[in-house]
Amino acid sequence: MTRKLLRDLLENKIQFLSIFLMSFLGIYVFVGINSEVTGLKACEERYYEECNLGDIWVRGRDFSLADMADIKTVNGVKNAARRLETKGKALLKSDELGDDPDLTLYFLEDNDISGIKIYEGKNYTPGCMGIWLDKTFAKKRGLGVGDTITVKLENKEFTEKIEGLFYHPEFVYYVENMASMMPSYGRYGVAVLDISEYPLDDPEFNSALIDAEDIDNLGDMTDEEKILARRIGERIKIVLDDKQLVVMDKSELLSYSTFSSELQQHRSMSFAFPIVFVLISLLGIITTMSRLLSRQRVQIGTLKALGFSTRRIMVHYMSYGFVLSFFGSIFGALVGYRTLPAYIIGMFTDTYILPYMRRGFSSLSFIMIVLEVAITTLITWYACRRECALIPAEALHPASPKVTGRSFLEKSPLWDKLGFSVRWNLRDIMRNKLRSLMGAAGAAGCAMLMFSALGCMDSLTFITGWMYGEINTAKTKILMEEDTPYGVTVDYAKKYGGQMIQNTSIVLRSDTAVKTGTLTVLDAGNLMHFQDEKRGHIVLSKKESALSYRMAQMLGVKEGDFITWNIQGEDEKHRVRVGQIYRNPSAQGITMYREAFEAMDCKFRPTEILTNMSVDTGLKDEEEITDVQSMDEMMASMDEMMDMMYSMAAILITAAVVLAVVVLYNLGVLSLLEKRREMATLKVLGLSTKTIRGILQQQNIWVTLVGTLFGYIAGFGILGVMFSDMPEGMDYCIVVYPLSYMLTFIGTLLLSVIVNHVLSADVKNIEMATALKGQE
Amino acid sequence: MSVLMSLRNIEKRYRAGEHDFYALKGVDLDIDEGEMVVILGPSGAGKSTLLNLIGGMDSPTGGELLFEGEDIALYNDDELTRFRALSVGVVFQFYNLIPTLTAYENVALMRDVKDDCEDPMRCLEMVGLSDHAHQFPAQMSGGEQQRVSIARAIAKKPKLLLCDEPTGALDTDTGREVLRLLLRVCREEGRTVVMVTHNASFARIADTVIRVKNGKVVSQVKNENPESADVINY
Repeated sequence: MTRKLLRDLLENKIQFLSIFLMSFLGIYVFVGINSEVTGLKACEERYYEECNLGDIWVRGRDFSLADMADIKTVNGVKNAARRLETKGKALLKSDELGDDPDLTLYFLEDNDISGIKIYEGKNYTPGCMGIWLDKTFAKKRGLGVGDTITVKLENKEFTEKIEGLFYHPEFVYYVENMASMMPSYGRYGVAVLDISEYPLDDPEFNSALIDAEDIDNLGDMTDEEKILARRIGERIKIVLDDKQLVVMDKSELLSYSTFSSELQQHRSMSFAFPIVFVLISLLGIITTMSRLLSRQRVQIGTLKALGFSTRRIMVHYMSYGFVLSFFGSIFGALVGYRTLPAYIIGMFTDTYILPYMRRGFSSLSFIMIVLEVAITTLITWYACRRECALIPAEALHPASPKVTGRSFLEKSPLWDKLGFSVRWNLRDIMRNKLRSLMGAAGAAGCAMLMFSALGCMDSLTFITGWMYGEINTAKTKILMEEDTPYGVTVDYAKKYGGQMIQNTSIVLRSDTAVKTGTLTVLDAGNLMHFQDEKRGHIVLSKKESALSYRMAQMLGVKEGDFITWNIQGEDEKHRVRVGQIYRNPSAQGITMYREAFEAMDCKFRPTEILTNMSVDTGLKDEEEITDVQSMDEMMASMDEMMDMMYSMAAILITAAVVLAVVVLYNLGVLSLLEKRREMATLKVLGLSTKTIRGILQQQNIWVTLVGTLFGYIAGFGILGVMFSDMPEGMDYCIVVYPLSYMLTFIGTLLLSVIVNHVLSADVKNIEMATALKGQE
Repeated sequence: MSVLMSLRNIEKRYRAGEHDFYALKGVDLDIDEGEMVVILGPSGAGKSTLLNLIGGMDSPTGGELLFEGEDIALYNDDELTRFRALSVGVVFQFYNLIPTLTAYENVALMRDVKDDCEDPMRCLEMVGLSDHAHQFPAQMSGGEQQRVSIARAIAKKPKLLLCDEPTGALDTDTGREVLRLLLRVCREEGRTVVMVTHNASFARIADTVIRVKNGKVVSQVKNENPESADVINY
């Protein structure tokens, strides 16, 4: 029986290869992406565990030793450490990366919480001399252990010897400033020194790091852990009797949350596609097996007559599905595990900084393989249960043709007016509903994959145009230094005819959720535009606050509801009514006009200027200017951010195209095989090969058109899944341009017509006598 | 000679629309061990239905089917499968070889259903096809395929060898050769062979001739002087 299995597989190699390929592709994509996610998640957890990433950060005062002792007594606090956080500049020159990059400086007392992990050089020990630099920054700047670096802090310059290079768990991902959408490591960096090296007078420990007892580094931070962190924060405020303290947990840390949501997004993608592939492979197996079985009906009868039991025969035929899906899945898992994670991790290394990035095999991959094999085998059982259950005397004879009455259409007067080929095809479709349905499903699968792949590209491309064509119409953005006096900013705004804007990190609270976001305060001007949920133009009220659509979703609020916000680092809370909801692809939070902001007794502190004038590149060198970004640069930065998504889409599109060809070819072969006898009959009746091929093509086109229509609907579903896990800071629209509808339509139809044309060439080889012989 | 199989008042009824149709009705007959039995009758007489019932490939709707004293009409699917596997060999009109297996593999397949099978090569030698052991059915003539089918049937050393129009698809010479082979299996190996045919001249080689018409056995006659296959006319 094993030989029969192998030879049957060989004889029907195209169909079986397609089933093998679909099992392969589904598991390939799943295991590939899942191993990447699992591996990176494990690396992330191990890294955070090794460095003991802080759970809570408290800022807003100079933490004395007594304060620290008090904090350590707080219920739930395992350990606490203080550090001095400040910003300086490294006095370095580079044409490519810019001069005097910003340096985040941490002056430490110890390395116990959020400790650095040494890449090269000496370990940091309390009280030691020298400076430690973040490895990525140092490498980009060509700095190494033993070199010296001059740092400017406020107005003081000091030179230090580089003692080591490190990875910092709070800087897996970090950007230059709030306006940056993508890291450009090397333009800014992180440095760590001992507090004894602080060059100014009176060091102020402005940050306390808490290691909480019941918050671990495994998995993403849970809601319970977030509540716990908030409680600990409240207790610390009470112990220190300081309501102004700002408490932040690690889920609010940009580095932590960005990396988590990136992995989460990959995980979602890894599920969507295998499901599609498995469904299509099931379609393949059900058609292939049911047709194989009806062809082998007499063989089944013979085996039964020879004494084989029904169970034995059933197991034999089920083993087709089992063997193919088993080897397809195992092979897919092996290849997927070996190739995809490396490819994706390769793309990651430019964005995320981890000391180790490795793939890892999860039990989920194993479960998926078992599921794939089990479902395929089960479907094979379903496909062959009828033929196998026949008694031998019945099975030894070919199935008698189905007798069906005249359908409603056939009885209508319209019927006689239809041409021969239309009538033939309509009858054929009605009499072979399952076959027609499978054909349509194949075309739908093909259209769905093409449509979702093209739609994914469209939606990604759209975001850039949406942001910088519709919402932000400025030519240039001038970013001001943090402490620039208001008057200076106003002068620049006047000089360049610009609109002043304040962008500040805030914490937003609704009854059900707490999220970090951006507060955007607009001065007079018309370079920022707003759109409602359906992307219709809206004018923002000067009196009320507007909330971004994605943030409203995350907070679970709607227009008219109230939310509370406070600036990160400040304790003053503001309760506002959500006056309007607007959409913005890249910044989620609150937007309001200066009038509304000042009406809340807040001081307008512009952080950037938008202008339509061209700005001299030399402006960057001015002391109060952080950066000058042209719209082209911003678009490039946005596109760069989308690169990762493009690459993921590219993997999926490739798989989709292979799948589409395989599915259509497979269904085409089977369908024609089944119609051989009918075609022979038509030949006997005197129809030319060309006419018969025309009839076949006509039916194929009808079925493909119906399938494509359903493909569009299913494609939207896939897009929904793909975009459901965008990072929290992003909003997205599923946009599909008319060209993609057309390309999907043309692509599917063309593929289907070509496959049908190639396959129907066989019509001329059909020998009427052979095809009709032996049938009763 | 002892009785191997007895059919008592056997009926096979099919439902055709609102009416019952009897393929067999009130059939009584006995098959002795080691006999060459030929069942004769025109098309539609019920010959194949009778053969299917004898071989456990179908169940009667009434009557007793006694094989070595046991009523196989009462068997369930599993018991019938076991009966076919252990006691029955079948030779079909259109050979029904598994096209994806070689001659040898087709015969060797029987090891999967019965433990103490004859050596497949020996069976092929018996039918004179040891040279063709590794050919696929499609590479063989009709006569050769039928001989493989016989080799497959005897490999199980069945007590009952059933042949449904075994020469129906063959020319005169090849047909005679196949009949000679079946007679040899019967006479030399001592197997009971039951052959269904519409060719009346087959009666001359049989030990017992059963004539069937309109679903009934019209006669069961012993042939005292069975002849060789050479006398058969087509």
